[in-house]
Amino acid sequence: MSLDDPQISSASSSLKIMLVDDQPARAAILEQALTDAGCTVVARLSSAQGLMKRVEEHQPDAIIIDIESPDRDMLEHMSVLNQHNPKPVIMFSDEDDSSTIEKAIRAGVSAYIVDGLNPKRVKSIMDVAIARFREFQALRGELEKTKNQLADRKLLDEAKSLLMKHKNLNEEEAYHAMRKMAMDRGQRIVDVAKNIISVMNLLND
Amino acid sequence: MTKNNAATSGLEQPNLKIGYMPLSDSLPLLVADDLGFFAREGLSVELQQEVSWANIRDKVLVGHLDAAQMLAPMLLATHLGIGGLRKPMQTAFAMGLNGNAFTIANNLAAELTATGISDISGNAEQALDAVKIVISQRKAENKPTLIFAIVFPFSIHNFLLRDWLASAGINPDSDVQLVVLPPSQMVDHLALQHIDGFFAGAPWNTVAIQRGVGECLVSGPDLWSNAPDKVLGTTQQWANDNPNTLNSMIRALYQACAWADANRDDAAKLLAKRIHLPVDAVQPALSGKFVYRKRQPATQVDDMLVFNRYHANYPWPEHAQWFLTQMQRWGWAANDLDNNAIVNECYATATYRAALADQALPPTSHQLRFDIQQAWELDDKVMGATGFKYR
Repeated sequence: MSLDDPQISSASSSLKIMLVDDQPARAAILEQALTDAGCTVVARLSSAQGLMKRVEEHQPDAIIIDIESPDRDMLEHMSVLNQHNPKPVIMFSDEDDSSTIEKAIRAGVSAYIVDGLNPKRVKSIMDVAIARFREFQALRGELEKTKNQLADRKLLDEAKSLLMKHKNLNEEEAYHAMRKMAMDRGQRIVDVAKNIISVMNLLND
Repeated sequence: MTKNNAATSGLEQPNLKIGYMPLSDSLPLLVADDLGFFAREGLSVELQQEVSWANIRDKVLVGHLDAAQMLAPMLLATHLGIGGLRKPMQTAFAMGLNGNAFTIANNLAAELTATGISDISGNAEQALDAVKIVISQRKAENKPTLIFAIVFPFSIHNFLLRDWLASAGINPDSDVQLVVLPPSQMVDHLALQHIDGFFAGAPWNTVAIQRGVGECLVSGPDLWSNAPDKVLGTTQQWANDNPNTLNSMIRALYQACAWADANRDDAAKLLAKRIHLPVDAVQPALSGKFVYRKRQPATQVDDMLVFNRYHANYPWPEHAQWFLTQMQRWGWAANDLDNNAIVNECYATATYRAALADQALPPTSHQLRFDIQQAWELDDKVMGATGFKYR
């Protein structure tokens, strides 16, 4: 799965790829990864608007699309329409590579590949796309976690300073008081903090 | 309750994930979930709403979904590996009949009226004459080709629209442009004049009409009364591995369909709530009081959307035959396929009969309105040597 694998780079050297993704950050990451692997990203679209025209224009070897895009059915239709043309787009390869497909679906990515493309090349593109989509999923998860942690931290600080002010406690005592409440009630400390804030604010109103 | 115990005792997989698209004909699944028909069969079902038919197919293939609402022709195409992945597929339950309509933009409606042909809405022959005239006029005046949207290549929508156009010698691949759009986007694209019309399921025709961006030219039943559409699809492997679970699913959905036919008003409320649309938008297709054009009185379209009556849930082999021959007609499937064998493999009529042995069972054959041989002869006659070269 490594992008530095020379075999992948040489195998996918001249492939023209089109990305359809409404998440520009993810598309940018994937474009970089595919470029590093020796592919050419001929177009990056945020929706399928004008997709057919762009496909005619660029004749991509592969189209990579977010699996939750409602525009997938449009690509399905194109693959049927273009079957008499030299470059029809089909789903994955002729190989019934269930594990790649399974992994792709799990990562949230799907792809359309021209007929007759070497299955190994298809797999290498898919592996790159799957890896980047996963990475993005993980990044977004991390970001979400960090955001939550920051928000929690703020709540804890606010509750602590309310306790310090109204109960004449020092910082450490305030923190221990909250931790004890959390343990006694079997609650998360952040929920205790929320509770303290709402109660204190109510008392002060 | 003893029956339930018997039904639940041998369930291979009582916890199921079933996929669906937010359309009026997903109602049987929503009803079975909401009113407890699944639960009464011992099934715990998680319904998963999907954004594309392609997703539904792929997720069923890799086992992320146990079963799903599927376009019947998509199930057959997947079984044959046309246009994508190949995996043996099966259905033992059709989710209903009809529900579709062809809605056109106001601009096109005006063009059709200008042809002088009167009384076109809901009249398949007259409407088609007018469409044919507009297509020739547009060609003569070098105006853009008409663009009509459908929901998926392998769908009754595509097949019915193509068949209808072809019956007047209109080549659906060159005289008009057919594009695919998600059903929920049809109305916006029509309003923005990206398309001149769309053939899609309820409730999207009514939504377009109520928003005043288009009018219904012909309803599905105007073209083929009681046409097949969606089925409950699984892989053959899944059906073989889970026969008792499949039986229970069929029984639950059959009850749900019967309930939906008998309780149209409540069904409309339930549907509106589950697919997040106003009751007014989903009501017309369910009540059959269908409005073709805004501010016009409703026309009674009997059976605008049928869930259970007329043995609507039976997977009629004749329907699968028709779909297969249409795929062959348009060059998507090979002509030398053993159609009977494919139909026997994919349409599990015996499973249906066994699961619903205590219900009124359908006769063993079904007279189709369409004669495929006739359609092909018509293609030759109307189009001649320069015509359709699909076969």
